[in-house]
Amino acid sequence: MLVSELIKSAFQAISTNKKRSFLTILGIAIGIAAVITILGIGDGVSQTMRKNLGNNATKKTQTTEIDYTPDDISSATHGFTADDLTNIQQKFPEVRKIKIYHVSHNITTHGSVGLNDGTYSVTLLKKATSEMKVIAGKNLSQSQLDAANKVALIKESIAKKNYGTIQNALGTTVNIEDKTYTVVGVYKNHGMYTNLGDVNKYSADILVPKKGYYTAESKKTGDVINMKILTNANPSKVSKKIEKYLKKNGTAKNQGVYQYYDTEKALKQFSTVINIITALISFVAGISLFIAGIGVMNMMYISVSERTQEIGIRLAVGATPQNIMTQFLLEAVSLTVIGGLIGFISGAGLAHLIAPLLSSQVGNGVHIKAHISMNAFVLAFGVSTLIGIIFGILPAKQAANKNLIDILR
Amino acid sequence: MTKLIEVNKINKSYRSGTNLTHVLHDISFKIEDGELVAIIGESGSGKSTLINIIGFLDSEFEGEYQFKDLEIHNLSRKQYSKLRNQNVGFVFQNFKLLRELSVAENVALPLLYAGKSRSEVKQRISELLEMVGLSGYEKQLPKNMSGGQQQRVSIARAIATNPKFLIADEPTGALDTKTSQEIMDLFKRLNKENGTTIIMVTHDPRIAKECQRVIEIIDGRVVNDTRRDI
Repeated sequence: MLVSELIKSAFQAISTNKKRSFLTILGIAIGIAAVITILGIGDGVSQTMRKNLGNNATKKTQTTEIDYTPDDISSATHGFTADDLTNIQQKFPEVRKIKIYHVSHNITTHGSVGLNDGTYSVTLLKKATSEMKVIAGKNLSQSQLDAANKVALIKESIAKKNYGTIQNALGTTVNIEDKTYTVVGVYKNHGMYTNLGDVNKYSADILVPKKGYYTAESKKTGDVINMKILTNANPSKVSKKIEKYLKKNGTAKNQGVYQYYDTEKALKQFSTVINIITALISFVAGISLFIAGIGVMNMMYISVSERTQEIGIRLAVGATPQNIMTQFLLEAVSLTVIGGLIGFISGAGLAHLIAPLLSSQVGNGVHIKAHISMNAFVLAFGVSTLIGIIFGILPAKQAANKNLIDILR
Repeated sequence: MTKLIEVNKINKSYRSGTNLTHVLHDISFKIEDGELVAIIGESGSGKSTLINIIGFLDSEFEGEYQFKDLEIHNLSRKQYSKLRNQNVGFVFQNFKLLRELSVAENVALPLLYAGKSRSEVKQRISELLEMVGLSGYEKQLPKNMSGGQQQRVSIARAIATNPKFLIADEPTGALDTKTSQEIMDLFKRLNKENGTTIIMVTHDPRIAKECQRVIEIIDGRVVNDTRRDI
């Protein structure tokens, strides 16, 4: 019999017993989906690591970052001045470039809304955007932003807390860094993190134009520095040394803490954790695939005994035992391969859904994207085929070895 | 006429538990090409066992079986399948059609196992269905058809590969008198027009009367073998 005809009759047989086939397929699909999900995430993490840390062989420099956090969060002290930068560059020749990084979102600063003094988070806008939903008043226009107008939007919860209703907040003023802004609109509360796992800039309490926020004087100081360090000088080590140096000699060493955040280390730790989880889930998935395989075997044995008559008729009209065996084996393999493909698709989908959630675990603006490789597809396809063959061969053999005379009697 | 089948001293016994039942005793006869033979006998006389051997369904027997020039008693199980597929068609008492498959698919089975594809055999299937008087029934399911119609489908399936001979085991056993006669007429027509050799097991004397040759078996022995012209 032609292979194409065998495949057709396999699908026919599967569809005549839809419920049973569906359940068997489901078992395989769940096992494969679990494997593909965890593989997709694991691959995603290692890819992110490679991308974030740069390929040491091709990139000459690597960027690192040192933050300063003042002890008194409302103080106007800044961690870095022009002097600090010059000192670092003189002391550490490995540092190719250094600059103060002016944060433009979620800046924690001292200010007042109405009559209430306190600490607020401020995000600076450079371009007009409607990513946050303005629910009262007007959004900031591009011309307002360009002209550095002293206008601001405040968050719904801040407006309600200070003025009772959001409408009352319009036309009032807020004070930030000794500057007074008129409130022209109120926007909806946003969560701390975006769907991608980044810190959401619109979760800040107040939005003001970027232009005019930093004055010429304040531009020379800041709380974050970015450095480009020669890759072969071991950027992580150099950065740690600079952190130590700043703790001893930094301008604001007495009012706060300098801290180097080692992204590489964090990612490496994270990837170790992921590797352990991968091994664990793979083990569990392996067991579940084994159980699903037994399900396939069970279904095939039932199918063989139910279809004894059919086997007899087929043998009588000229099927060889080989034909019968191939037919039942193909049915088992079709079941598991369908399960494997469904599992692959849902596993890939699941990996893409879960990976962004992990990004917030690493933090520091690292994006983890699931990566479904061709290998994963081959694995899903291969493993499901193999399960079909392993667990289908015995029932298929039994079908082929049925005694024709006993069947037809 | 040329010799088609020759059995010589066929013996067959079953072992059930400790008992050895001897079913066939030294059966010997020849069947020529183009004959219409009825094998009659009481139930339990061994006639079904005999045609299972003749129809290449049962390979476990003692004695010699020559089909054309082939020594059947020397062949393997796999060779039996091919032999069945190309040389013999079966018609059973209870039709033995596959319930989930359509009429066309049932008739196509032997052709598919002979290595043809579904599209290749379409033409042949309509020819076959026309031959048995079921033109246009391709898409029907057997369960929606009458017994006589189902038996016609099974006859169409049996002759699909143009086999050398047909084995019919009580082909009219499950049918009423009128339908039985129709099926018998169909067999006779196939025998006359296509020259198909037909070996039929029956215990209906009316059916046996219409055959050229009647072999009677009692207790596993041939007791009577008469030929007559019809």
